[in-house]
Formats: sequence, structure tokens, C-alpha cells
Amino acid sequence: MSYEGLVTRSIAFAVDAAVINLVAITVGAIVALAVSVLSVPDWADTALLAVGGAAYLIWTIAYWATFWSTTGQTPGDRLMQIRVCRADDWGQLSVARSVFRLAALTLAAIPLFAGFLPILFDDRRRGLHDMLAGTVVVASASPAHTPAPA
Amino acid sequence: MLQPPHVLDKGVCTRVSSAALCDDLVMRPAATAITAVQRRVEDVVLAAVEDAIDRAIANGLVERIVDRLVAEGIVERAVDRVFDERRVIDEVVKRLIESEGLWVLVDEIAQSPAVTDAIGHQSIGFADQVAGQVRERSRRADARLERVARRALRRPV
Repeated sequence: MSYEGLVTRSIAFAVDAAVINLVAITVGAIVALAVSVLSVPDWADTALLAVGGAAYLIWTIAYWATFWSTTGQTPGDRLMQIRVCRADDWGQLSVARSVFRLAALTLAAIPLFAGFLPILFDDRRRGLHDMLAGTVVVASASPAHTPAPA
Repeated sequence: MLQPPHVLDKGVCTRVSSAALCDDLVMRPAATAITAVQRRVEDVVLAAVEDAIDRAIANGLVERIVDRLVAEGIVERAVDRVFDERRVIDEVVKRLIESEGLWVLVDEIAQSPAVTDAIGHQSIGFADQVAGQVRERSRRADARLERVARRALRRPV
């Protein structure tokens, strides 16, 4: 079983971040253009910003949770041929575990990305978020649902 | 100047009437018979030739002839002669370019699933090649980074 390292995972993450932001910017630009031709009161601007922020948050969570819980691979992961799976039996993540892993990933990034440093030392190349969510990142050629060695 | 019939010589009349009779009774039927015989001969000869060709194909004679022509370089020499004759090639190319059918054919080929698939595969192949290189380098970078980190923390590499 080949566990994937920090650089490979960072590239996959960067690709996913680019996809998320590209879609968000495109949608945001279309909405802004539509709103610009309508006369919207000042208070509505603030409300629209809040709605936009919430939509961005939901879109981001949905992106990661959907891909991790369905194929175990985001488009960035697919590009780098890596896969997120459960650490104990290498099975697919549930939606709840995917959302929890995303929250843990955010947590790991808060102290200047220090939460990702364990990837460099851990035997299974796990970051803080992997340890908390009970996941590992493996090469996508690795067999799925195969019992992990004791 | 023409003479009135009663003044014509008797021998002349006899010759004219026998010539007409000869034409009606001998020449026309003979010509018809010859044409019929010709047609029949043609039919028989054509059937015989057709039969001979069929037999030649069936018993592999044609194949042997073609093999021999190819083996002895006759076909090659003939093709060489056609290609050496610049005028022939020029004429063929000129006619091809002028023909509308060629461009219809080119359009058909360009839009065919085989060609579009091939172009698609080429693009995918290129993207795959780039992605493969990125993956390889990132994995090498991973290994190097981990070695440095482990050395810094004095852990076994």
C-alpha cells in the first residue's frame, strides 16, 4: 500500500481549490451582472453578500464531501492518482466522515498549516485531519475495500 | 439523256431485272444470315472466354499469374513507369483537386468518428503525459522532503 505525501496532496488540493474558485467566480460574476441591471436597495446588497458567502461555503463543503464519499477522489486527486479512504479497512468515506474530515482539515490549516506537518513524519503519512477523521490518502491504484494488514 | 422504256435495249432490261432479283433473293438473306452467324459466334466465343476466366480464377491460375507478375517485378516496373511519367501524376493530381467529390470525401473523413476519436486521444494522451510527469516529480519531491524533515528531527530515514 502506497501512502501519498505532502507535495502530491498539496498539488491535488491546489487543483481542487482552483476548480472551486473558478466556478464560484463565474457564478458570482453572472449574479453580479444580473443584479447590476436591477435597482437593488442598499440593505439588499449586504443580504446578497451574506447569501453569496453562504452559497460559497455550501458549494465548497458539497464539493469535497460529494467526491470523497462517492469515488474517494476529487478531480485534483484523480489528476494525481490518489484516493482518500478509511484508515482501518480502506473503504469509502461516509458523507458525515467526509464533512468531518473537511472541518478537521480547516482546523489543521489554522495554526499556519502546522496540522499538515505530521504527514512528513507519520508512517502512514497522515496529517492531523487524517488522524482525527480516521482516514489515509493512498495511490488510487490501491485495491479498494481490501482488509488492511494488522 | 434517258430513253423512254420502249426504246431500251432488251439485254439491259434483262440485266436490271436479274440484278434486282439477285439482290432480293440472294444478297439480303445472305447478309441477314451472316449477321446472325456473327452474333452466334460472338455469343459462343464470349461464353467460352467467360467460362475460361471463371475456370482460371477457380483453379488459381489468375492468382499465380498475379504472383508471377509481382515476383518478377513487372507490376513494380509498371507502377514506376506511371510515376516516372510526371505528366500522368500531374494530370491525376490536377483532376483530383478540381473534383468536388474529393473535398466532400475530405470533409467526410475529417468528421468521421475515427478521426475525431484519434484527435481526442492525441489530446488526452498529451494531457496524460503532462499529468504523469507532474505525478512523478511530486512523488520524488515527497521523498526528498521527508528525508530532509526526518534528518532535521534526527529520526531514521
